[in-house]
Amino acid sequence: MITIRGLHKYYGENHLFRGIDLDVEKGQVVVLIGPSGSGKSTFLRCVNGLEYFQDGEVTVNGIKLHSINRKRPARADREAMRQVRLKVGMVFQQFNLFPHMTALENIIEAPMRVLKVEKNTAINTALALLRRVNVEHKAESYPDELSGGEQQRVAIARALAMKPEAMLFDEPTSSLDPEMVGEVLSVIRDLVNDGMTTVIATHVMEFAREVADTVVVFDKGEIVETGPPEEIFNTPKTDRTRAFLSRILKR
Amino acid sequence: MKKSLRVLSLLIGLLAVFYFAVPSQSSVGSLDRIKERGLLLWGSDAEGGAPYVFPDPEHPDTLIGFEVDIADAIAREFGVNARQVQNAWDSLIPALERGDFDIAMNGIEITPQREAKIFFSIPYYVYTEQLAVGKDETRISDINDLSGMKVGTLSGAVAQDILMELGGVDVRTYSGQAEPYEDLALGRLDAVLLDLPIAAYYAKPNPKLKYAGPPVGEGFYGIAIRKEDENLKRAIDEAIGTLLETGELKRIYEKWDMWNETQEKLYLYAKGYERGVTLEEAKQAPIWRFFPMLLKGAGITILISVFSMALAIVLGLVLTLMRMYGRPPLSAVATSYIELYRGTPLLIQLYILYYGLPNVGIALSPIVAAFLGLGMNYAAYEAELYRAGISAIPKGQTEAALSLGMTQGTTLRRVILPQALRIALPGVTNDFIALFKDSSLVSIIAMVELTKTYNILAATTLRFFELGLIVAFLYLAMSYPLSLLARSLEERLKGKKR
Ligand SMILES: Nc1ncnc2c1ncn2[C@@H]1O[C@H](COP(=O)(O)OP(=O)(O)OP(=O)(O)O)[C@@H](O)[C@H]1O
Ligand SMILES: [Mg+2]
Repeated sequence: MITIRGLHKYYGENHLFRGIDLDVEKGQVVVLIGPSGSGKSTFLRCVNGLEYFQDGEVTVNGIKLHSINRKRPARADREAMRQVRLKVGMVFQQFNLFPHMTALENIIEAPMRVLKVEKNTAINTALALLRRVNVEHKAESYPDELSGGEQQRVAIARALAMKPEAMLFDEPTSSLDPEMVGEVLSVIRDLVNDGMTTVIATHVMEFAREVADTVVVFDKGEIVETGPPEEIFNTPKTDRTRAFLSRILKR
Repeated sequence: MKKSLRVLSLLIGLLAVFYFAVPSQSSVGSLDRIKERGLLLWGSDAEGGAPYVFPDPEHPDTLIGFEVDIADAIAREFGVNARQVQNAWDSLIPALERGDFDIAMNGIEITPQREAKIFFSIPYYVYTEQLAVGKDETRISDINDLSGMKVGTLSGAVAQDILMELGGVDVRTYSGQAEPYEDLALGRLDAVLLDLPIAAYYAKPNPKLKYAGPPVGEGFYGIAIRKEDENLKRAIDEAIGTLLETGELKRIYEKWDMWNETQEKLYLYAKGYERGVTLEEAKQAPIWRFFPMLLKGAGITILISVFSMALAIVLGLVLTLMRMYGRPPLSAVATSYIELYRGTPLLIQLYILYYGLPNVGIALSPIVAAFLGLGMNYAAYEAELYRAGISAIPKGQTEAALSLGMTQGTTLRRVILPQALRIALPGVTNDFIALFKDSSLVSIIAMVELTKTYNILAATTLRFFELGLIVAFLYLAMSYPLSLLARSLEERLKGKKR
């Protein structure tokens, strides 16, 4: 479903990724963990074309993204990125709901504009999704009238409305007050149980352990270890994984 | 969005109607075309004032003056009507050359320099220059005592040349003829040298002023005609000849108390007597008589402001999009445009648009030039407001929209612009108020809007103060509602994000 080969990413002089390989199978749940600044967000952004990379190849659902080494990507590259994004939904740490639209409008906007879904159909789908994420009573509310947990659940519904083949979550609970983390995680858990191909970057280790098929440990732009959660959390193979886990679990 | 589009297209439609209601530029010209049109368009400056061309204090929306009478008489000879076209005095000749009217007649002295550019008719008046000074002036008894003195005159008039030739005179030039006498009465000037008819209207009846010495520097007024209109010049000469023979001209001059021995050089007969309007009467006219004219000026101010702002809003958006999302040549063009228009005075832009473009074959009518000049200038400022608005939208908004599969264009249209324009809105409203006041600048390109109407009326009646208060009030009455609107928009945006 998602294949990454030899990915190189520079931020100016900073050579962040020095050749990363990773495969995500259909229906698989991959959880990215690692210290702050290790490159989890950047990796997810490369996968759906929000960030260019300088070498390597990303293939999503048969669509290839190439490395881009000039200031403006060619039209074909931009279109390929858009095709990837059509197949991959993304949920951000900061929710990024459109503040000038109600929850419902946020959800129906892309299906209507991009997929040309008829308005009534789009609204019915949106209401069903809002029900699924338990915020159907806030359909007419604007983002600034919603709690953080509600906003993030609307953002998830918004991504699902595009009927994606895979979902990327970039620290979906990191901006939330502790009492709202649970409600968002339970929505993601339902999604995973329905068989959605999912990649999640998170600092919540219990959740990683619970939902992951594969855990990927990032450090300083490198993948230091990959494996099933029991292995990573109970018998980590590398010192860097151990160091990271001991630091984060002590907190 | 759709509603504002409809309003905009309505505005553009109205503008087009207004534009075509103005006599088409290409049809001015030869005698045949004047007859075909049934109208003789003659250029003059009503702000120049009495007794040449000025608003009737009895009915301020009609112009009177001895030149109005002469224009009517000539038109009658042609079997057509005369219509005055307002134009600043010192740019009458360029405006004639660009074809804004058929002839120019406004106390234009026949000089060799002018004759190099245009034709003059046979003279229709013999003028002399009259020196005027303050009532208590003792130092100046005639034109030879002017060394080191502050002397006012009209810019571009023959009197100015005379003063320059005297040498050592501190010459102060004005664009209207009432102002130098005002300044003389206030002691800001030591003397004023201007054509006798002007002195007779403004200085003679003013108890604070008196004549100094006899008239000097005899010369002729002629009607200015474009070089390519030779047959029109012949017809005008013929018409003046007829008016001389019938005594019509002399009647006109007697009516305006301008007849004197010197004129015998030109005119053969004299009979009948009618008295013209004096400054005293103009000063006494009840103020309400000027309201219709002032309101008409205010209407034109509103018209120009609204259309120009509509242009600025749309063009500004195009510029911003070019600048922020265009490829290098486009974005550079937009950036240069914005810097150029923000970095140069609006006045210069208007001059180039109106008087400069005809040199490359583009003659815009005054209203179109005013609309384009203001609109294109303000577009640069609106563009910067939009840019600030767009820059204020967090990057996450674009990323969220793109991640939903939207194209760059859809993202811009549906997500970025609606938020950015909300941020820019209070600024745009404030700019509308500013543009509204800046619209007074277009009076320099022959648009008679509110400020120009004030200038014309004040120059004729010398009631600068009361008319000024009324005009200021009119501006306030129009801009205050806009301020209220701007403030309520700001409040609403502060309260909510939508
Ligand atoms: N736009 C950018 N320009 C330059 N450097 C960047 C940019 N974005 C990220 N980086 C750098 O790349 C590295 C990886 O950042 P990234 O945000 O991917 O880490 P992360 O693992 O998601 O961290 P966190 O857990 O704090 O979210 C960091 O060193 C960061 O400073
Ligand atoms: Mg991150």
